[in-house]
Amino acid sequence: MKRTGLFGCGALLAASFGLALTAGSGVAEADSIKIGAPFNVTGSLSSLDAPALNGAKLKAKEINAAGGINGKTIDLVVYDTKTDPTVIASVASQLLNSDKVPVAMGFTDSDSALALGPIFQQAGVPFVTPGATSPKLPEQVGTDMFLACFGDNVQAAAGAEFVLNKLNGKNVYLLRDNSTEYTTLLAKYFDEAFTKGGGAIVGRDDYKSGDKSFTAQITKLKASAQKPDVLYIAAMPDDIGLVVKQMRQAGVTQPIVGGDGYDTPLLLSVGGKAANDVYYSTHAFMAPTGSTDAIAKFYTDYKAAYGTEPENAFAALGYDTVGLIADAIKRAGSEDPAKIRDALAATKGYPGITGSITYPGDSRVPQKTVTMIGVKGDHLTLGAEVTPSWLPAP
Amino acid sequence: MIRPAALLSLLAPLVLVAVVTAAAPRLVNDYAVRVLIVMCINAVLVASMGVANGFTGVFSLGHVGFVAVGAYASGILSLPLAAKHAYLSDLPHWLGSFSLPFLPATIVAGLVCTALAFVVGAPLMRLSGYFVSVATLGFLIIVNVILINAVDYTRGARTFTSVPRETTLPWAVGWLAVTLLVLSRIVYSPYGRRYRAVREDTIAAQAIGISVLPTRLSAFMVGAFFAGVGGSLYGHYLGSFSPASFYMAYTFSLISMLVIGGMQSLTGAVAGVIVVTLASEVLRNLERGIDFGAFSVPPLYGASQIVLGIIFILVMIFRPSGIMGDRELTPGLLYSRKRRPPEEYL
Repeated sequence: MKRTGLFGCGALLAASFGLALTAGSGVAEADSIKIGAPFNVTGSLSSLDAPALNGAKLKAKEINAAGGINGKTIDLVVYDTKTDPTVIASVASQLLNSDKVPVAMGFTDSDSALALGPIFQQAGVPFVTPGATSPKLPEQVGTDMFLACFGDNVQAAAGAEFVLNKLNGKNVYLLRDNSTEYTTLLAKYFDEAFTKGGGAIVGRDDYKSGDKSFTAQITKLKASAQKPDVLYIAAMPDDIGLVVKQMRQAGVTQPIVGGDGYDTPLLLSVGGKAANDVYYSTHAFMAPTGSTDAIAKFYTDYKAAYGTEPENAFAALGYDTVGLIADAIKRAGSEDPAKIRDALAATKGYPGITGSITYPGDSRVPQKTVTMIGVKGDHLTLGAEVTPSWLPAP
Repeated sequence: MIRPAALLSLLAPLVLVAVVTAAAPRLVNDYAVRVLIVMCINAVLVASMGVANGFTGVFSLGHVGFVAVGAYASGILSLPLAAKHAYLSDLPHWLGSFSLPFLPATIVAGLVCTALAFVVGAPLMRLSGYFVSVATLGFLIIVNVILINAVDYTRGARTFTSVPRETTLPWAVGWLAVTLLVLSRIVYSPYGRRYRAVREDTIAAQAIGISVLPTRLSAFMVGAFFAGVGGSLYGHYLGSFSPASFYMAYTFSLISMLVIGGMQSLTGAVAGVIVVTLASEVLRNLERGIDFGAFSVPPLYGASQIVLGIIFILVMIFRPSGIMGDRELTPGLLYSRKRRPPEEYL
């Protein structure tokens, strides 16, 4: 009896696995163009990936409502990759072999993009990441990898100039999360740009993503001989609320500056009042007023579609990435991956809501301006739009 | 003397390797091949984890530490020279000047882990029960911290990338066959009986002249060798990984496979891997939403993890010793109508 149950279970599993396999390769509609969309909807990156996916869906809906591209509708093939490299690798081959997508977009971090990128590169299918900001990515993966956002060297340089010129900070204490590629690179680029601009790093310290207490770092910071004017903290979205809160509770009052990892609702929801006087570089200022008309329209449409305000700029980046790909498919006039790739690489001045996208020369990292956002009280204000004058090498 | 059953148990894996690797790529698509590869790698890891955790009763939480060491060691060895110069420019000259093929790199990774297991195990294997779990968890944390801080060797927290992606299905199935063959030869040998004797009653085992430390240590080292091998397979499957890939989440995923399958059985380890992997793949595809034409279920991302958790709880309630318990599925079962009592064929 027990054994029958066991085999029954096994058979059921095997059968449903077969079902899942065939379900994936379902009837391909000839009048739609598939765009792969793997995102970490669950797991530690969900607070960035989920808004990016929502933004992407919104743009796809708008394009289809306006008649699609080249007479065809676009169909986002969405997968949740669960912030797990093994799942990402499996999803990559599902997209390529079952769904046969000619182009794909996804992820807001370099680790995930690096897990998927080589598989797409091997298949010769272009991949555009809305939010993985490592400027090394296209060079690490190959000619089929594109960024729709600026590189970390750009935002770190913008952050450095903002600290020097707007906050008049000359001495910075550099705290970084040493457990991810994004935060280590961001801190390195900031260090280079800030020192180059005439500032000094008076102390540095590390923590690890997932730490719940920052007492050790705060004690070291308070004991440092030279008092810093500003703190630059390279942090992941999950941690930043807690870091800021504990800093302020311990009486650290200096402005805190960071990168687009801060651009999450968690900054205000976890940080609360403590988040006052925090500044960060990001892709666009998401607000109904005080920003550009395109952002204001996006803000209203997003709220109408999902019932919440756009959580962060990644929503806008997801939106722009679908637009960028649709634009390339239109210009390619074909669904051949190689032609879409060439059209993407030739993009000049695509009018995105996060800024105009141009791939200069052979580069697959676009030139864009950086938006600096500040927290005043308990709401976000536009700090500055910065185009850095000097960039650290990627 | 060689019984037909024993011969069969030797040949069966080889036949399986040949059949699976020849047939799979023709029958199913690349996605299914990938799932099979991941299953084989996880089976190598879970089976090797079972030697210490199940058979010897030393519940180690540090297995993934060895997996990490295996992945990084083999990755450093097999990284192409151009990539070594680009990413690991600070490697000592003797390491930076050559690049090993996949197989030797994997074996060296296994040996490095065995040596490490000797150093770590010599003090830790004196502990029992909860103490050894906590101590080995400490080992996992130390490995993680070292990987993050040994920037010259590992790129620190940044993604270790450009590892040649060479783990194909034949490699994965082949290594799984080797692992199961070697482990079954060991744990069901006369020496292997000591493992279970030590687990069941340490004092009684000592009373009949079994010394506990070498027994446990040998099991720990054998497990570590295959953890290193599995780590190398995993690293060469993904092509890029970071210290975060080998931490708590992976530890608990492997432990759940082991516990669900049955800790005291090699078949159980494999069964646990198959059940958990298939269940999570199926649920992952189902949670994307189903369209039956007449009605459709919207995507519910994250539902798969919840359902998986519930399945784990149910298995633990109804089969507390896992799917297989301490039974094995051996070729002998195919011959004898009546199942022999476990002692005889174990």
